Amino acid sequence: MNDKAKTALVVGGGLAGMEAALKIGQAGYKVFLVEKETVLGGVLRQLYSSFPRWENPQDLLNNKVQQLGLYKEISILIGMTVKTARREKDAFIVDLQGLDEGDNRQIVVDAVVLATGFELFDASLYGEYGYGIYPNVMNSLEFEAKLKEWGSGQENSQPPQAVAFFKCVGSRDRSKGYPYCSKICCMYTAKQAGVVKDMFPAAKSYVFYMDYRAAGKEYEEFVRSVIETKHVRYVRGRPSKVIPENGRLLVRAEDTLMGVPIEVEVDMVVLAAAIVPRKETKMLAEYFGARTDQYGFLDHDTFNPAKVGDRVFFAGACGFAVETQGAQYQGAAAAAEVIALFNQGGE
Amino acid sequence: MSADFYKPMRLNEIDSSLQEEIKKVCDINVELCMECGKCTGGCSNAHIFDYTPRKIVQLVKLGAEKTLLSMDALWTCVSCQLCVDRCPSQINIPHIMDYIREKAHRQGVKTRRINVELFHDLMLNSIRKTGRVAEAPLMLNFNLRSRQYMKDAVLGGRMFLKGKLSPFSPVVKDIDHVRRLFKKIADNREG
Repeated sequence: MNDKAKTALVVGGGLAGMEAALKIGQAGYKVFLVEKETVLGGVLRQLYSSFPRWENPQDLLNNKVQQLGLYKEISILIGMTVKTARREKDAFIVDLQGLDEGDNRQIVVDAVVLATGFELFDASLYGEYGYGIYPNVMNSLEFEAKLKEWGSGQENSQPPQAVAFFKCVGSRDRSKGYPYCSKICCMYTAKQAGVVKDMFPAAKSYVFYMDYRAAGKEYEEFVRSVIETKHVRYVRGRPSKVIPENGRLLVRAEDTLMGVPIEVEVDMVVLAAAIVPRKETKMLAEYFGARTDQYGFLDHDTFNPAKVGDRVFFAGACGFAVETQGAQYQGAAAAAEVIALFNQGGE
Repeated sequence: MSADFYKPMRLNEIDSSLQEEIKKVCDINVELCMECGKCTGGCSNAHIFDYTPRKIVQLVKLGAEKTLLSMDALWTCVSCQLCVDRCPSQINIPHIMDYIREKAHRQGVKTRRINVELFHDLMLNSIRKTGRVAEAPLMLNFNLRSRQYMKDAVLGGRMFLKGKLSPFSPVVKDIDHVRRLFKKIADNREG
């Protein structure tokens, strides 16, 4: 009862969505991969380097895009968003909206994988850090773009002498409504601070932290190598203020290991802003009858960690913050759920 | 330290020369410190230290040499080796202490505890002369010189009666070897 006539929809063309679509297509089922941007890749496309192996994320992206092109079952719909969707028995009737007004399309699918990713917490809510006011205070994705610019081989007229990284900007902050740990910031901050030292060995790289959470294969070794061999300076304490001074930025904090107030003058401040759900995720969840939690992340089923509703699955950071490798796992897991469902035939 | 930190300390001004010196001379990398505090937790004398072992490692990282040279913990550390024994990163804190202690002594930094230097010198003298520490003559000498005439009289008397103390300073067989060691160190210092 292998009913290959069945069709799946994957919403979101980041790494998780690409992985899900790829596996469903490889299993022989028709799948639509809908991406609102005009290119695939999502956040992966924006990254300069990766942890814990310092690989070029663009190699991974290219590999996935190339593989997606090999299967006729996979239809990639870029520049399209889900306008609305309704349930009819075991099917979803989905209206897609293109970039142009008249660019509409209706598709009928038998299962859905939501892979809408995340956004970064709006760091301007911390008035004391001056995000959005001082041009050299940026969030971590903006800094990835900066790294790409520096790493492009063009002459950099003004290499930074010192960069400060703040962890837990939004995360682990009840007053901002996000008491949770965003999980991946410790790792990508270590990576970014290490890249700064690789690019500009004379520059100082300071990481302000409360603790570093490196729970993963090769993760602890990665962070230690950044401290011990790249000589990134880890300063324990949550910075309290950024003050513009002499054309640079003065960071005020406590060294909580010694219990003394400290300050440091830097050229750039990078805020590891919390991973928060996209507004669209909650909207899509309502269309497809999926559950969301108090923050707006998709909320999975007790016995099926990839399932968020009847015939609805998820992959990637729309469920919760997840690293590159985890997004791929979840994409594959969601695809397995879809394939298993389709193989049940008679249902 | 408190005076140095009256104004917030500027991390830009951290002098890493002490950290590098300790890496070069003692072969100890303080960057390996995970700040867990197991050293302090195990330290037999931490309760009387002004800076606990973890903080001492941190002070090396901060380049606070003046604080390190004048801290009281230099003279209350008994080099029991518990800290290094338990350190997950095997940072040899007693070796750091030795290094800073010698440096402080060489520079003539005044200690806050009275008689510390006196005891240090008397003990080294005892070793130089006899190749060992003879407790009874050392303590007698120390108590007389530090004018604490009756300090250990009762306990010392009882130990003497039980035959636990010898008033003599027996010399080790190969005292020449000991003298050569002292000479070697003195030559190294000068060199």
